[in-house]
Amino acid sequence: MQVVIIGNSAAGLSGLEAFRKKDQSSSVTIVTREGEVPYSKVLLPYYLLGKIPYANLFTRDKNYYARLNAKCITGNVVKLLPEQQAVLLESGTLLPYDKLLIATGSSPVKPPIPGLSGKGIYHLWTLADVENLAPYYNKGKRVVVLGSGFVSLQGAWAALSRGLDVSVIELMDRIMPRVLDDHAAALLATRMIKSGVDLRINTFTREIERTGDEKLVLHFKNGKSLTSDFIIVGTGVRPNIEFTAGTGLKIDAGIVVNKQMETTLPGVYAAGDVAQVPSASGGDPVVHALWPTAIETGSIAGTAMASGNSRYRGSLNMNVTQMFDITVASMGEFMDIEGSESWTDENLPEDQYLKIVLKDGVPIGAICAGGSELISTLGMLRPLIREKVQLQGNPGMLKALLASNIAQHQQTFIKQ
Amino acid sequence: MRFITMDVTKCVVCRNCEYACSFQQTGDFRREDSNIRVEYYDDVKICLPLTCMHCDDSWCLEICPASAITRNVKTGAIEINSERCAGCKMCILACPFGNIHFDKINMVSRKCNLCEGEPNCVSFCISGALQYTESKNSYQNNRQIFQRFIENL
Repeated sequence: MQVVIIGNSAAGLSGLEAFRKKDQSSSVTIVTREGEVPYSKVLLPYYLLGKIPYANLFTRDKNYYARLNAKCITGNVVKLLPEQQAVLLESGTLLPYDKLLIATGSSPVKPPIPGLSGKGIYHLWTLADVENLAPYYNKGKRVVVLGSGFVSLQGAWAALSRGLDVSVIELMDRIMPRVLDDHAAALLATRMIKSGVDLRINTFTREIERTGDEKLVLHFKNGKSLTSDFIIVGTGVRPNIEFTAGTGLKIDAGIVVNKQMETTLPGVYAAGDVAQVPSASGGDPVVHALWPTAIETGSIAGTAMASGNSRYRGSLNMNVTQMFDITVASMGEFMDIEGSESWTDENLPEDQYLKIVLKDGVPIGAICAGGSELISTLGMLRPLIREKVQLQGNPGMLKALLASNIAQHQQTFIKQ
Repeated sequence: MRFITMDVTKCVVCRNCEYACSFQQTGDFRREDSNIRVEYYDDVKICLPLTCMHCDDSWCLEICPASAITRNVKTGAIEINSERCAGCKMCILACPFGNIHFDKINMVSRKCNLCEGEPNCVSFCISGALQYTESKNSYQNNRQIFQRFIENL
């Protein structure tokens, strides 16, 4: 059997490793349009921060593919040819497959603001982006971050820590609209401002002007403007699916897959940011574009391609980071929804926050802001959310309650 | 492989294990630096020592975006390489037992590494609650102990 995997990030590698656990003999080719030695996207802001050296961005060694009896080639897939069961590379090479895994990830989108391109304007998404950004991460420089999502704020935090002047521009009336609830967002915003970030919410960027001395001037709808040395654009991502155009492959918010990561084309699987996968809540399928989901779905796809025997239990939204001296994390359905009740830990000091959202006594999500210990609590809740186990007893004794759940629901905790 | 078992019925919350672990890690006695944590619930008089169970399918190891978590083939311990750890905290969120902690000084995650086969917490346990015993599956062992814990809850 000939297997082709497009992409060598979280989903692609997880797919390869899971496949090789079941099948050691089939030929496997990985196609990447970035470097052949894989790097980790999650680490990019930590490199800009100075926390890890450049070499540590690479999470597999040079002999990795050889050890897994796989071949990695550099190339840009321009066309999927389902009738021929092959993919066409930009170079003209045709790669035939019996099984194909699309793990092409996602790319940042740019809002239609006049002047928002060219030198000094970057995303924070790939290694190439970070290589562009690194020379700007010097004390005294001024950066404007457009958008207040997860990665944007990590970039802002890294810049602030390196001694840059940082402005964050958000169109909405609060930061991190998709990752935090109002209260956690307010706690984080307070810390950002205290740390020295110039945070501007409800701010619409009208256009970018370039000055003679290589500065960028942002003009806002409210009449104000701001001069900067460089801009980081972090306003969302979309799946990399251009090469599938005209194939009849079913696409919604991402490539539609079933519980085995099979797409609507025979022998073709998709995983990671590019795929729209079942949700852990059992509701509508989702494109989460998250590292844990990419690892999970890649692994499911790899196993399915080798043996056909794997079932995804659905993607559970999970986010965590520490920045501006505060840790924030969220998981599952952390916003109050119709019919839900929430429990908030009243024993915490004012600058800390832990909320668990329950429906019919079953935890469906949680959110925290404050110290690292709160994340452990979210971690212990995760199996209960996944398996829809009732949280019985007094939440005031949460840790003991969760520990007792470990004993009662052995299967839940063993099988991740 | 040998793993640490934690017997809630024997623990007396002396916290020797926490101090012993802290000393092993840092050369100082700060409970917040310990990888083993003893929770004490006064109203029900339950003492619950908790440390890593070095799971067979370790979600922390699989999820680590820095490839900083590996299994030590000699001791069987799941270990965090603090040189590679970026401090993203994803492993803390991944652990279903709350057994990964954060080192606020070095900004990296930290967990039990079985002290290369001679766990200091076990050496200094005064009640016999902690044992370093031969076991195929550390989780199974500890589950039975937890079972007794809920019966007492």
